[in-house]
Amino acid sequence: MSAVRTRPDLAISGEHKELRSMVRELMADTSSSATLREVMETEDGFERKTWSTMAQLGLMALLVPERYEGLGQGPVEASIVFEEMGRALYPGPYFASVALATNALLCSGDGAACSDLLPGIAAGSTIATVAMAEAVKPWSSPNTVCTSARRNGDAWILDGSKSFVPHGHVADLLLVTARTDAGLSLFAVEPAEAGVETHALTSLDLTRRLAAVSFVGARARLVGADGGADPVMASTVDRALIALASEQAGGAARCLEMSVEYSKQREQFGRPIGSFQAIAHRCVEMLQRVEFARAASHYAAACQATQVDELPVAARVAAAYCGRAYRWVATENIQVHGGLGFTWEHDAHLHYRRSWASETLLGNAEEHYMAVADRVGLGPPEEVA
Amino acid sequence: MTENPPLQEFLAEAEAFLASRYPRREAEDRRPFQWGEGSDEVRVFQEPDPDEESEAMPRIRAWRAALWDAGFAWISGPPEYGGRGLPRSYEAAFSSLSRKFDVPGDAALTVSLGMIAPTILRHADERQKQEYLPALFRADLIACQLFSEPDAGSDLASIRTRAVRDGDVWKITGQKVWTSGAHLADVGEIICQSAPGPRHHNLTAFMVDMHAPGVTVRPLRQMTGGASFNEVFLDDVEVADSARLGAEGEGWRVALTTLSYERNAMGHSAFGGAGILSTDRLMQLIRHAGLANDPLVKRRFGELVTELRVARYAQEITAERMRAGQAPGPEIALNKLALSANMARLGEFVVGILGPRAIADTGEWGTYAWTSVVLGAPGYRLGGGSDEVLKNMIAERVLGLPRST
Repeated sequence: MSAVRTRPDLAISGEHKELRSMVRELMADTSSSATLREVMETEDGFERKTWSTMAQLGLMALLVPERYEGLGQGPVEASIVFEEMGRALYPGPYFASVALATNALLCSGDGAACSDLLPGIAAGSTIATVAMAEAVKPWSSPNTVCTSARRNGDAWILDGSKSFVPHGHVADLLLVTARTDAGLSLFAVEPAEAGVETHALTSLDLTRRLAAVSFVGARARLVGADGGADPVMASTVDRALIALASEQAGGAARCLEMSVEYSKQREQFGRPIGSFQAIAHRCVEMLQRVEFARAASHYAAACQATQVDELPVAARVAAAYCGRAYRWVATENIQVHGGLGFTWEHDAHLHYRRSWASETLLGNAEEHYMAVADRVGLGPPEEVA
Repeated sequence: MTENPPLQEFLAEAEAFLASRYPRREAEDRRPFQWGEGSDEVRVFQEPDPDEESEAMPRIRAWRAALWDAGFAWISGPPEYGGRGLPRSYEAAFSSLSRKFDVPGDAALTVSLGMIAPTILRHADERQKQEYLPALFRADLIACQLFSEPDAGSDLASIRTRAVRDGDVWKITGQKVWTSGAHLADVGEIICQSAPGPRHHNLTAFMVDMHAPGVTVRPLRQMTGGASFNEVFLDDVEVADSARLGAEGEGWRVALTTLSYERNAMGHSAFGGAGILSTDRLMQLIRHAGLANDPLVKRRFGELVTELRVARYAQEITAERMRAGQAPGPEIALNKLALSANMARLGEFVVGILGPRAIADTGEWGTYAWTSVVLGAPGYRLGGGSDEVLKNMIAERVLGLPRST
């Protein structure tokens, strides 16, 4: 156990800058607006070719420790990649495989499962995701998990259904929460097995589809301790929220760029609309949120990297701030563009859709505010692994 | 090139210095905020009683002189101007160490050290750097900033105070306003109109002696009731050409540097009195009001803390960039915009908790004292430029939008 550090390391290195420009170039080459619109209409919703290129560059291996055939990089490096993918609305299962599944396996502390499952994820040959939420009320609480698991010799058998699973329709590996006699537990399930059925849901976010999965006597592997998934999922969600916050900061930054470019070139009343204070000040308010969202997500990732004691607070602060910031900037971006911004052809709505979906995916700002209040010490302490 | 001493060694030396001159603070003073104990003062502006303030100044000057002699006054400064040439992390470590001792506060020197000294370092000539930098860090000289005028507020470039050259001297006549700390200052960074030339190229900056004949300082009473700023009248004040800061006609650039450091200083949550933005203090207030289990209060508190923390994270990232050698650019004003918005949020939240105890003083500890945040927030929002002026500046200089007309 390392000593608690009180300040995160906020320095940006040359390697960080190289990583950012590498991912930005890759995204520009492979995820242009035209390509995005083509692939979002396909069944998979993303391009396998780009996914292999990303794998070759080691992007899926970033968070995986070297002993599991990964690159052993940290959350700060990952947050740079997520920010760039958020800018480009990258439609592939990167968030599902890296932010959700990789973190869930790492948080489980199950060495055997990590050895068996992480190398495939790191190589990009396994697309993995996490299935937590169910279509019950209230869906966001792990306490409402109805999916159940029972032991059958060495294996486990799963029954129930999950929903809102990011990229569940293309996953080769599902990490599923289910209830056993001992409590909430985590299981690895291969959707190709008998008794698993997956289908993509019509999703608000056209660039990140959610799926429903049902299990009828499906074979599963227990990951971590029987009944031990509550703290595992709590830290998985925190880590995934930090990644999501970085994506949101990147998406917001792209929306701001669109608004600024447009307000320089669009003329009304004989001058560029950006020369009107009403528009200029709106753009500055967008910049404020973009810069602070970038600061919040970077800070939270840096806290995670060195396990600073601010981490539990910073994770939810970033989640609450970045979620609202992205949605606000994406909303205003449409207004700055006028009628053009309301057309199907303009990318503004793709960000707008993503911003609503991301803000809701792992709990919304209302829930994060309550968590922030708890975690700074107003309420009872929460259990986080 | 000599190696830096290890931080531990440096701190041991610092501790020996501090311990030899100043008593350690009682453990009680260093204890986290306790409801009902000690002073319940919360302030946005430092507005000390004038008598207390003039009594405190000699003690502050003596402290700075002792720091200077021991090599701790300007730890990260360049050695050629009396700095220690050590990384900023050493400076931060020293300042947290010094809080364990009963040393005078540096709030009266924020303008001198946080705004004027960095401007001199950037724009002054070699001789001026030698003259002013050691003196400012020793607090032999305390500086103020003479920018705004009755007819040049948001439109700062239309300054009317004139500097007329007469051989090797300039004669300055005009009126400045909203000058924080002018009543304590020995020297002022002043921006004057020096030539009829085109806008932004007709201004020149000087270091003017605040004790020179022709300088009159009058305090202004603020809506809070206190007086921390002044109006300054200049009547044919002589300034040597050797006190000119930067080239003739380059005053606007000099002013922009000072303003960006000002916005950095104002965006810093430490500015404006300790404890206002303390989460712990707010939680004790909520508990004292018996509202810790109210979900609505909890949700609003969570939102407030989120906004305060994000602003703090952004500041820490700015500080890290400055440590890495980046000068604050126009984007620094975002931190100031955020802090003034947060000050308003804070007032709203706290008054919501206090209810009528915020509108009349019942004598209850820790309640009515918060009104100084409510009363100070509008001034904080104006200081260093109104929101609108800052947004115009950011739109042009950060986003590259066309000038608004």
